[in-house]
Amino acid sequence: MIKIVKRDQPSRAIFFLTPVLAIFLTLLAGGLIFYILGFKPFEALKFFFIVPIADMYGFSELLLKATPLCLIAIGLSFCFKSNNWNIGAEGQLTFGAIVSGGVALLFYEQEGFYILPIVILAGAIGGMLYASIPAILKTYFNTNEILVSLMLVYVSKLILDYLVVGPWSNPEGFNFPETRQFSDSARLPLLFEGLRIHAGIFLALAAVVISWFVFYKTYLGFQMKVSGFSLKTAKYAGYKGKKMIVLVFLISGACAGLAGVGEITGPIGQLHREVSPDYGFTAIIVAFLGRLHPVGIIFASLVVAITYLGAETAQIFMQIPKYTGQVFQGMILFFLLASDYLLFFKFKFIGSKK
Amino acid sequence: MNTNLKISNVTKIYPGCVANDNVSLEFNSGKIYALLGENGAGKSTLVKILSGVVIPDEGKIYLNENNLKLNSPSDAKKNDIGMVFQHFNLFETLSVFENLIIDSDEKREGIREKIESIMRKYNFSIDLDIPVLNLSAGQKQKVEIIRCLMRNPKVLIMDEPTSVLTEQETSELFLSLKQFSEEGILIIYITHKLKEVMDLCDEVAVMRRGKLVSVSEIKNENIESLANKMVGQNLKIIKKKKVKTSSDQLIKITNLNFTSEDPFETNLSDINFSVNRGECLGIAGISGNGQSELFQVLSGEIISDKNSIEFNKNYIGDLNPQERREYLMAFSPEDRLEQAAIPQMAIFENVALNNFKSSNFFNNGLINENKIKEHSKKIISDFNVNTDNIELKSQFLSGGNLQKLIIGRELITSPDLLICFNPTWGLDVGAINYIHETLIKINEQNKSIILISTDTDELLKLSDKISVIHKGKLSKIMNADEVTSEKLGILMGGAN
Repeated sequence: MIKIVKRDQPSRAIFFLTPVLAIFLTLLAGGLIFYILGFKPFEALKFFFIVPIADMYGFSELLLKATPLCLIAIGLSFCFKSNNWNIGAEGQLTFGAIVSGGVALLFYEQEGFYILPIVILAGAIGGMLYASIPAILKTYFNTNEILVSLMLVYVSKLILDYLVVGPWSNPEGFNFPETRQFSDSARLPLLFEGLRIHAGIFLALAAVVISWFVFYKTYLGFQMKVSGFSLKTAKYAGYKGKKMIVLVFLISGACAGLAGVGEITGPIGQLHREVSPDYGFTAIIVAFLGRLHPVGIIFASLVVAITYLGAETAQIFMQIPKYTGQVFQGMILFFLLASDYLLFFKFKFIGSKK
Repeated sequence: MNTNLKISNVTKIYPGCVANDNVSLEFNSGKIYALLGENGAGKSTLVKILSGVVIPDEGKIYLNENNLKLNSPSDAKKNDIGMVFQHFNLFETLSVFENLIIDSDEKREGIREKIESIMRKYNFSIDLDIPVLNLSAGQKQKVEIIRCLMRNPKVLIMDEPTSVLTEQETSELFLSLKQFSEEGILIIYITHKLKEVMDLCDEVAVMRRGKLVSVSEIKNENIESLANKMVGQNLKIIKKKKVKTSSDQLIKITNLNFTSEDPFETNLSDINFSVNRGECLGIAGISGNGQSELFQVLSGEIISDKNSIEFNKNYIGDLNPQERREYLMAFSPEDRLEQAAIPQMAIFENVALNNFKSSNFFNNGLINENKIKEHSKKIISDFNVNTDNIELKSQFLSGGNLQKLIIGRELITSPDLLICFNPTWGLDVGAINYIHETLIKINEQNKSIILISTDTDELLKLSDKISVIHKGKLSKIMNADEVTSEKLGILMGGAN
């Protein structure tokens, strides 16, 4: 007989093993779904997870997709670790893209080394501004940040829609919903000839290092953590708890905004309707799959990025809708949450021992 | 008609603990039974089983030889088992009458007369048409009791009913309970207060760690014998030596006022007192009379007028808690899990919450983890915290160990003044003794304490001077050897 027993304390090994278990279960369940749909499970999984990254181009695409996911997830980890549920990174990404895109358009057909830094900074500020709305409403008016940040996503997408169709649309663009192409000085440089991977990856890596340092090594990080767990405790310790909440939102907004900059100044080079295939939402899964730890988030962003690529290959070679990618993302989160049960409980086989 | 309630071989296992281990008990109407035990002894679980809230893993319950199936609270009600919980289940904004009829399935007409006749019979006087939020704790409890009585219960279970009552309200409650008992209602009284058992009950069942350890008649017991059964060892009795306190003034509060924007908080008006070195000032009161606000004003969580608090010849009313700590003040708040410590963080991280410039926990904005860990190890060994793993999340410490850690964290820097709020609330007797000894010790070292507590016995044991807080106002300060718990009770109720 199997009995479920509560652990005396959560197992540290299990803490890092459950994401692996979740990925394994996702593959298993994915294989099963393919089988039910009438495909050979192994072949389908191969198309989904191996074929897309089998060549250099595929690998560059993987890094290209992983970059925004990693960047946003790092930002979100600040919020989530301090119990602030910012669900609106997609909106912060979009707004960051709008602001940086607007600045890039100001420099239309101009050249100069100073343009790119300004464009990048504008994106970060845009994301921060947008994230400050739920933060301030939460700290000073007790609103729920989940609802506010989520609803603002749709607002930002509509603003973008309005801009690319209306005032910012390309005058020579035959009424396509897109802006003019940014000048080369406003674009993130490509790293290799013929591949789409761009310098945005360095922004993501810098974010990883900085976030690790701030959260684990500094007094500021400690105060953020305490304030997130309990404002009452923060007050008792003498910290400025409300400011800490606003700060984590700003950090997370800045990261999402930077991801937006990477999208529009990297491969696309202009603003259009769809700046992001829901990176801001998917990054929530990345953050949790990576256990909110900077190194974990790197791996998680790579794993989840494959689901984007795999969905495209599967659509081309197997005529499966690309939304299968979202099914896989959903399954990863589902199995991760389910296997977290093992953190606190263990199975005990009664009869064999004791 | 006689009622006989039998609990037979009841076992309930929660993950990680056996809450009830093969408990069998028998009760007969006409007597008042005490179920005595420390926090976590399993008495609440047993009572929840009787009231249908918890379903036992094994065992049966018989009422007058009928095997009861209690799968939900409504099953208990159907079987005439009434229960008054420690925390009231009343809708604050509804009127008393509405609260009484809300779960009643009786016909509307005549119900008001029925309630009034119950109130006449037991001499309860409560206005049925005012909202419950205007009632005192004692009156709210009466509403709960009336709600049970409306169903003509055979069994009435009271779970720690006196924790929110004044001395006077307690004796009124006891009179009512005795009256119910005479009328044939079987009364089971759950408590950890020994004196109440001696005053009220006829028989006592003692539980410890999920097991029933003894059933006996009160006339064969005394407070010491019950205490020893409850704790399972012989307790030493702590007494504070009366020493001459100095006249050297440490802290002086002058004309301190606090007006809250939150309607659920209490305003403080015109607080004035002073504490000398080596002295313990106790502040008594029923919870919710401004203790929490007073604590926050003293700790700096609520900032007040600079000149209203003079500490060691400095005016510090406008400083936050961290800044006040630099002047050698220390604070132990009431809420261990939500304020004094963060359960999800490791022990050593919790230690870092009490941070001084001179403690060097954080240098140039960076965490000095070695320093914090070294300091944590010292606290753990100096204050008997029962663990050797400072990386353990503090949620895995028992209440007593967590409180020792908090008190240790606050005291290891040898502050001049410790302000603590209900430091032993919800702890077991062993931990309470340890905390009391520690508090007495720091007075002996000529350090001062402000002890805000709702436990009158604790205050009488530890204080040199006592004042009572009622509706945000302090009574005059009295010498502790001149007051009795009766006198405190009268002041706590608001009389002069």
